[in-house]
Amino acid sequence: MVFVTCKDTVTGRACCVVLCTTEEQNLVKELVGLSTRDRIRAIRGLSMSFKEKKHIRLQSHAFRCFADCSENVSLVSVSLIIKQYNTNNQVLIQWSCFKLFSQSFRRCGYSIKSARQTLKLWQSIMKEIGGRFGTSVLSYFVFLKWLLMFNIFSFLVNFGFITIPLLVYDPSPNIPPNVSFTGLEMLTGAGYFTYTIMYYGGYSNETLVGLVKYDMKLAYFFTIAYEFKCCLSCFPCLCLSLYSMASSFKKNYVLADPTSNSAWQLLSSWDFSITNERAVRQRKNNLRVQIQESLSDKAQRQLLTLSEKLKHLGVYLGFWLLSTSLVVGCGVSIYYLCQYEQPAETLLVPFVVSLMNLVVPLLYSLFNKFEHYSSHRRQIYALVVRNILLKMSILAVLCYYWMNVVAKKFSCWESVVGQALYRLVIVDFLFLMLGSFFGEFLSNVIGTRLIPRLGVPEFDVARNVLELIYAQSLAWIGIYFSPLLPAIQILKLFILFYLKKVSLTQNCQPPRRTARAAQMQTIFIALLFFPFFVGSLSIVAYTAWRLTPSEQCGPFRGLNSTFSVVGVWMDDLHEIPGSQWVIWIYENIIKSEIFYFLMTLIIMAIIYIFWQVTQGRKELIGLLRQQIVNVSVLYMCL
Amino acid sequence: MGNKQTIFTAQQLDAYQDCTYFTRKEILRLFYRYRDLAPQLVPLDYTNQPDVKLPYELIGSMPELKDNPFRQRIAEVFSEDGEGNMTLDDFLDMFSVLSEMAPRDLKAYYAFKIYDFNNDDFICKSDLEKTLNKLTRNELTEDEVRMVCEKVIDEADLDNDGRLSLEDFQHMIVRAPDFLSTFHIRI
Repeated sequence: MVFVTCKDTVTGRACCVVLCTTEEQNLVKELVGLSTRDRIRAIRGLSMSFKEKKHIRLQSHAFRCFADCSENVSLVSVSLIIKQYNTNNQVLIQWSCFKLFSQSFRRCGYSIKSARQTLKLWQSIMKEIGGRFGTSVLSYFVFLKWLLMFNIFSFLVNFGFITIPLLVYDPSPNIPPNVSFTGLEMLTGAGYFTYTIMYYGGYSNETLVGLVKYDMKLAYFFTIAYEFKCCLSCFPCLCLSLYSMASSFKKNYVLADPTSNSAWQLLSSWDFSITNERAVRQRKNNLRVQIQESLSDKAQRQLLTLSEKLKHLGVYLGFWLLSTSLVVGCGVSIYYLCQYEQPAETLLVPFVVSLMNLVVPLLYSLFNKFEHYSSHRRQIYALVVRNILLKMSILAVLCYYWMNVVAKKFSCWESVVGQALYRLVIVDFLFLMLGSFFGEFLSNVIGTRLIPRLGVPEFDVARNVLELIYAQSLAWIGIYFSPLLPAIQILKLFILFYLKKVSLTQNCQPPRRTARAAQMQTIFIALLFFPFFVGSLSIVAYTAWRLTPSEQCGPFRGLNSTFSVVGVWMDDLHEIPGSQWVIWIYENIIKSEIFYFLMTLIIMAIIYIFWQVTQGRKELIGLLRQQIVNVSVLYMCL
Repeated sequence: MGNKQTIFTAQQLDAYQDCTYFTRKEILRLFYRYRDLAPQLVPLDYTNQPDVKLPYELIGSMPELKDNPFRQRIAEVFSEDGEGNMTLDDFLDMFSVLSEMAPRDLKAYYAFKIYDFNNDDFICKSDLEKTLNKLTRNELTEDEVRMVCEKVIDEADLDNDGRLSLEDFQHMIVRAPDFLSTFHIRI
């Protein structure tokens, strides 16, 4: 046993440290060498009882401060000293050699962290859902919350930088005299709304002169660009919040063996966060069924004959052909419907679009029942890919119509497109509510009363996430044409959260398969997020680059293209003396193709390097595993 | 905000914050949860470190644990006396390890201890059988249980001694990517 007593010459108090064993000494020595943050992280990660952790912590802190403030501490003695015990027979350890600065700084950090927690929305509801239905259903709600946050941010940015300056400068919209507000505008978005700040057309192209010179054109352009950039860079935050630990995802995704479906995975996938008795019972049943299935699979697994394989292949091809032709049919019919619809203020097109989005996925699920997939995961992927194809082609057809026909036909075409998007968003919301009703409530009634064989429905995470992403891509496209559309989206998502929560708790049961939730979710969200986001971004980029803004309205009237506003600004900057560097950046970096080419090359090289490193590590892991087996076999032989 | 609470001293709160993954607010909230289990046993003033232990029956009746098939093992692993009777420190430690911020290795260590029913630092066949029975409500036949346990040991046992050591278990956890999200209790 080693006792160290030191006396703080400043305050005069004694500081006594007790070290019990050599292992502890080594551990404390290690900890003392780390920085404060690393030391705390190491202490938290120690696998020992709480009492021992506190003990180690005190010692490492004491030693650290002893080392740090050694200039005003004198070592009194290193020898056997009688310990002082308090009434509970615990060693009384006091220390005053306190690095006050770091301690109060850490306390400040802790209080900021707990303040942030109070701002978390819906924390208790999420906890309840996660407890009853597990993590995969919870991921839908986490995604919804993230989209809501993004839309709130988007609305605030738009409102703050585009709308407020205009309202301050010119508070009354210039509406022609014969148009008045009727309630119908809430649904169609046309009429009175057309001339307000709701749409692109309501914004002026002047440079507002007030406290500062505020160029509306530049503000509009850069605000929209900034929002898209933020969405892209916030996507990693979404991944983080879905998995709660990015490092585990990195480690696990690289090393996980996707082909093994062993009993062990079933055992180690018990969800400890389930708290509902019925849910626990159901999970146990499901686990038992799964184990029995996998055991019987093993017993009966046989290779399919060639004719059976051909038959399966034929069935797949047939259904894929059928789905693709459905998609093409939908696209063509929407295009002709758009052309036929005159005047363009009816709700026919949005209604038909939403109806297709509701009915065709049901048909796909029906097809799925007739096809035989070798694994459950492939089944889900096939379904998801088909749904994505459907939604993307509908959006593509609509955008094609808007870019090519509407842009040439109407005088204030951006507002017309904005209105069309507004109607699509509203009708989509109504159909989402209806879909909830039919999808979950009716299935429940059918499953429990009419056809008991079907049972209580499960919450279809895939379908719901897809619907959410589709709704959000409408909003993304709409940001350019209707800056206040995020406000509608906020309302929609807010109501949808509560609706889905009620529908879930009343009508659905927890998912039967204890799927490899984490791995599937990554691929899932990445698969779904990027096509739609990239698509929306390219539509907006195409509009900004190629299409001529309308002559009579909007912030970009009179210019050749939206993007030329930057060119005009650059020309203006020539006259301001201190801004040569901005012009240089614009001329030599943004406008030159060589820069983008070089960047692409560099990024591809980096990706290739990382990929090779990953491959190399996988091989190394395989070799090391083999070595462990070899060494243990050798050990057994000796 | 501020130091208005009188339950713990500032040093005690610092120690809790440094040794667990909880913030000050969560620690106080957990203290009240602990107290709610037995208000007559738990004092409101912890500044002089009273020696209060709640019996396992109270811990096991918490809504977060009462339906968990492993609640008894969890309480035994995290309690000081190994019987499931927990002090406040044990209580905080337990929920800290089971929270979403604890790293994988720490969780794997405790999961191993939880599944090790006979406390011999190895998961042997009888431990696996007990685990499986708890997870499937004793409804699998003897044969099926035996087959599953054999399969698990086959796959996981790297050093071929017929039982799983901590290293084998940790190696297995690496292949189960949802372990971190499933070995998690929200409180």
